Amino acid sequence: MRIEQYKDMIYACGRCNYCKGIDFNDRCPEIFTQVWESSTARGRMAIARGILEGQLEYTEELAERIFGCFMCARCQEECKKAAQIDVIAITKAMRADFVDKDIKIPEGGEQMAETTLSSGNIFADTPSIHNHWSEGLEFTEGSGTLFFPGCLASHRFKEKTNILVQVLQAAGYTLDFLGDDQICCGTPLWVTGKVEKAKQWASDYLVKLQARGVKEIITPCPSCFRAFDEEYPELLGLDKFPITVRHTSEVLEKIVVEKKLKFTVPINKKVTYHDPCEIGRYRDIYDPARKIFEALPGVEFVEMTRNRENAFCCGGGGAVKTMFEDHSNTVAKERIQDFILTEADLMTTICPACELNLTHGTYAANIEARVLDVAELMAVAAGLVDKEILDDDYFPND
Amino acid sequence: MVDIKKVTKLLSEVVDPSRVSDKDFDLIPYSRDLSPAKQKLPSHVVIPETREEIQGIIRIANDEDVPVYVRGGGTSHWDAYLAQEPGIMLDMSKMNKIMEINERDLVATVQPNCTWAKLDRELRKHGLTYLCSEAGGPAMTVGGSIMKAGSGPHSTAKFGFHGNQDVVTLEMVLPNGDVVQTGSAAWPSAGKFERQCLGPDLAGMFIGAEGILGICTELSIRIRPTTDIQERLMATMPTLDSVIEFGHFINRHVGDEYLQGIYLWVDPTAPEVFTLMMDIFGYEEEIVNHRREKLIAKVKELGGELGDRAPADDYFGHILTGLTDLFVTGVWHFFGAGTLRIDDIKFMYDVWKTELIEKRGYTKAGFGGQILPRRWLAFMVTNYREPEEWEELVKMAHGIDEIILDGPVVPYGIGGRDGLRDIVASRDTGYYRLLKTLKKTLDPKNILQRGIFIPEEELL
Repeated sequence: MRIEQYKDMIYACGRCNYCKGIDFNDRCPEIFTQVWESSTARGRMAIARGILEGQLEYTEELAERIFGCFMCARCQEECKKAAQIDVIAITKAMRADFVDKDIKIPEGGEQMAETTLSSGNIFADTPSIHNHWSEGLEFTEGSGTLFFPGCLASHRFKEKTNILVQVLQAAGYTLDFLGDDQICCGTPLWVTGKVEKAKQWASDYLVKLQARGVKEIITPCPSCFRAFDEEYPELLGLDKFPITVRHTSEVLEKIVVEKKLKFTVPINKKVTYHDPCEIGRYRDIYDPARKIFEALPGVEFVEMTRNRENAFCCGGGGAVKTMFEDHSNTVAKERIQDFILTEADLMTTICPACELNLTHGTYAANIEARVLDVAELMAVAAGLVDKEILDDDYFPND
Repeated sequence: MVDIKKVTKLLSEVVDPSRVSDKDFDLIPYSRDLSPAKQKLPSHVVIPETREEIQGIIRIANDEDVPVYVRGGGTSHWDAYLAQEPGIMLDMSKMNKIMEINERDLVATVQPNCTWAKLDRELRKHGLTYLCSEAGGPAMTVGGSIMKAGSGPHSTAKFGFHGNQDVVTLEMVLPNGDVVQTGSAAWPSAGKFERQCLGPDLAGMFIGAEGILGICTELSIRIRPTTDIQERLMATMPTLDSVIEFGHFINRHVGDEYLQGIYLWVDPTAPEVFTLMMDIFGYEEEIVNHRREKLIAKVKELGGELGDRAPADDYFGHILTGLTDLFVTGVWHFFGAGTLRIDDIKFMYDVWKTELIEKRGYTKAGFGGQILPRRWLAFMVTNYREPEEWEELVKMAHGIDEIILDGPVVPYGIGGRDGLRDIVASRDTGYYRLLKTLKKTLDPKNILQRGIFIPEEELL
């Protein structure tokens, strides 16, 4: 079993319950939705230990506890204080054990993985639909700097993605784009435990990228960012991915710092920011968005009570959206309550999955509010797009 | 034998089925606590939300002869809240609300699973605090602390064990399902303001009973204004005698008010170095400075040396949010723990040094304690590796417990069959016989916390 490699960590759980936190469910989105101790990191370590000791088996019934984890790493953040258990790695290993043992995983996860394998993206889009967002933009094949939007940004956020590229290009970036050759990064495979298929996917993708002369990848999606930068090297047994990978948070911050754009149009909005788990807790990237807001005229920035490493998940992590949509929406609605408490006009983030889920959260909370990418505010302030995209009743061309 | 499916069905009639589980993977996380106590699996886990649901569960338990166990944060150090035999585990997680903060009477009313950290966060918005003593981290619950009469390194110098003087009223569900109030709340038209009134102090019967006489569903405690002045000291004392004299100084000469925290630590790598961390109490700068000077003068008079206060700041500053690096060298075991007279700390220290380090060659356990109001709570604590060091450590630690409790030490926390209940039962004291009588009277079927504190056979 794959969890055997984590035996020392599993046995290192001192059962202190730091992971659960001070208010039962204010940290962990899984216990927020599933209530049981078995949903917490402490509970998962007990389950993993039970499996290692032969007391428990992987079963279809257990799947909700393991695949219902949002992999937001909030528990892991707390465990840094106590036992430094890599809860995410262990959760991934448990999911992979399900697949290795041929135990049925949640249907939505199975479908997502199969769709990715068969169509090349999680929405089963044809290439022309998948590339529709890039209409009106020009790319330079072989520039060496690849813009990689990922499935969600391509399919769901056509306008946002288009605006993001406008910002990057206005700042002087000469971008390549894979066009019809663009397929998913492969995250749906390892997040559902299909590690062997993920290895082949990563290997094929690396060959394709190197053949195109890609030296650098810029992506707005934290999952794609981590896929290339962390998962591929692990899957392929590499010390480091041979291509530089940058998340747009870092790139956009650089544009601001180096004054590549002039921000003259006042935003005149109270703005808050949701820290995406996969760049926040996973990579300690908290500051870029906040620094960008400082540079935009008319932005009154306000923090939500749970922010930075303490941020509550948007509900979009761990592929829970595809497997247990109700859980995902419940968490999104809770996160939107944090937004409401700030009395901000705009919710912003810098992750397509967060943008999608938080938008669903606004529906669930029955409020009219826009969830915007940080790049959209930059585009407005730089005069690249009309200010109307900031309005609550604006309907994007997605 | 518990009829699993029948009990599940019955429980689902009094609690929403989404909060009842008999699945093995849901049960196993409730099978251990913070201690090295062996795994003990309940047959069911239920998450009640109201006292009425608890009454319903108790009724089923009595009808079906299934024991009921209670779990708060799950951080007991001595097997006090694990299912000693298959039974219904109440996960009290959802009974965690702050019911009222009464700023006029300085009383807070909470449900038992409200954590100290949550309560403190809310109280501080009102310029109030409780000054929790325990160091169990963010998940440590108010009800859990009080039902075990817990204690720790903070505020105990001033206020003693939880339940010593800070509990105002309790609401308890008895083993027969009756709901009772203690203190002034026992007089329904009066309110919650006083612990000792209307006859005997029945709150004391439940505090420290580890849940065997009733399930706490609500409690009110004394709160007090915050003090924002943080003045901490670190000192290294030359001998244990000097520590003892310092303890007497705090308790006798200048009064319990001086400190809200004092913590002695002796590392096994340097058994002759006695480190004290202190958190000075006071509402006004002038008073705090005066106390600080007096304490510094006494440390020096006793031959001690003052050091950088940063470790004390770090320690006292993280009591509620979580101390760091707890399990880097293994999981925890507290043992050889108990309360004793200030002068008797030498006895425990000698046991630690001679029996543990010198005779048994165990050099991983530190020795520590807190000078409570006029007494010590002292302990030994070690990190160890499971599973390889588990059996041997537990055996050795229990041997140390026996030596300690043969001396002038009162056990702190009794627990189940992996706790200290065998040692307590073997003494057969009048106190113990009275406790058994109370248990038999209130809980004739031994439903609540069966096997905790009192072995089952002692109640037959």
